[in-house]
Amino acid sequence: MTTQGAIGRGSWRRWRTVGLNLAGAALLLCGLTFLPPDNSLAEVRKSGVLRVCVPESMPPLVTDDPARPGYDLELLDLIAKELGVRLAVNRNSAIGADFNPRNWRLTRAQCQIIAGGVADNEPARSFLELLPTGLHTGWAAIGPDDMLSQGGGTAAVFPGPIGLDRLALSRYLRSKKFRILTIPAASQLMPALADGTADIVISDRQTLAALNSANAPIHWLSEKELGVLDLAFGLWKGDATLLRAMRDSHQKLISSGLADSLSTRYGTAVDATTGP
Amino acid sequence: MSKFSTLRRGIYAVWLREIMRSFRDRGQLIGGVSRPIIWLLILGIGLNPYFRGEIYGEVRFVIPFTYLQFLFPAVIVLNIMYTSILFAVSMIWDREFGFLREVLVSPMPRWAVLFGKILGGSTVATMHGLLVLILARFADVTLGWDQVALALVLMFLLSFGLTSFGVILASRVRSFEGFGVFSNTIILPLYFCSSSVFPLDPSLTRTQAAATYPEWLTLLVQINPITYAVDAMRGALISYSQFDPLLGPGIIAAGAVLFFAIALVDFQRQ
Repeated sequence: MTTQGAIGRGSWRRWRTVGLNLAGAALLLCGLTFLPPDNSLAEVRKSGVLRVCVPESMPPLVTDDPARPGYDLELLDLIAKELGVRLAVNRNSAIGADFNPRNWRLTRAQCQIIAGGVADNEPARSFLELLPTGLHTGWAAIGPDDMLSQGGGTAAVFPGPIGLDRLALSRYLRSKKFRILTIPAASQLMPALADGTADIVISDRQTLAALNSANAPIHWLSEKELGVLDLAFGLWKGDATLLRAMRDSHQKLISSGLADSLSTRYGTAVDATTGP
Repeated sequence: MSKFSTLRRGIYAVWLREIMRSFRDRGQLIGGVSRPIIWLLILGIGLNPYFRGEIYGEVRFVIPFTYLQFLFPAVIVLNIMYTSILFAVSMIWDREFGFLREVLVSPMPRWAVLFGKILGGSTVATMHGLLVLILARFADVTLGWDQVALALVLMFLLSFGLTSFGVILASRVRSFEGFGVFSNTIILPLYFCSSSVFPLDPSLTRTQAAATYPEWLTLLVQINPITYAVDAMRGALISYSQFDPLLGPGIIAAGAVLFFAIALVDFQRQ
């Protein structure tokens, strides 16, 4: 046996011990990652019901038509089926009635998920865990092209329950010299345009698409200043296991093409081209 | 053999000795594994209900992350702190049992001996930090390779600085027992005052600003360099920074250079 060979074998043995020790530590930690960090999914499975809080109506995400209940509700129903539970819908008229979501009084006891117009932005992320639904929205307008680019008329605005930045919209409209007319219900937007009360109407992109029966062109307002956001399902902070399970189920629906066909059926796929 | 090659081999030999000694010692590895288990799995899950949402628009912990995600980068820093600072025990050991004297009479310059030792300690501490990354899935932190690479650089620089700091402490403490007590009185206060397990900085969010903290505590957090190390790690791993994103990496790098320089001065005196 040569001296170099013996040294080589000794060195290999030393590294083998190091490798085995490190591999053992890594394996132990890997095993621990499979422990559930909370029991939110276990509770849903135990009760057999996935409860969702939605506004009374928020087309095309939530409607009061049983044949077409809305994109969010149909998608959640498919996710619930993937999880092996039933979807229970809690329609809450308080959602969107007030600027501050705290006043909607939505609690963990009422539902595990908030849907029907949750925008994926920093304030929402501060309060909720978000699962993007694949839809986008942002401030958009229907009205004559020249009016949108030049400004100076009356803009009827329905802010809606989606947490888009209202202050940024207000600043933008003032910079364009628009007079702002706040509209309390989405259904009053198009009549305001038709009877000349307003020169343009403004709301979130999905709401305008649902109201726009005449298929008038919808323009994004300045994407640079006002942004285009993902829409999402909101889960309570700390419900990591439920979020993971829903994310996996949603991914399966995307892979199978079911999510896309749902989006096509509701006409929710919007292009993100910038407006004037 | 050129002078550079001799130097490189010398540094490698000292580095290898530290690596072998640390990773063959199962006790040290158990420490590296048990800390994330205790601080992330047990403390994180235990406190999670206090920070979770119960009413929409009303939570006590208003940052766009869960408590486990917020805690995760801090636990990496904690694991590195313990491993790096306690690495200096090996310096006391070497000094007590005469090994250090034997190395110091070798033709290797002292800075190279110290550099090899600190490099070894930094490698071990970085590996302990990497072990925590395995728990990213548990904490629901999704990591890209670019994030892991950035975190790795930060971990190594932090390990280098803290190992040098441990050497400075070791040169001032003469016994194992004294060092054990000394290090614990340094590591835990530094960790708890670093905005690690709960956000102490009142400027974090408007809601949190409403909750008043005593000024002395806020001051302690702001002057604590570990605060910026934790912040840098959060920036790398969960893209969340309380302070200027360049401040953390800058302080970590400056700390590594400064502590190594002081450690070298102390080591030259031995």
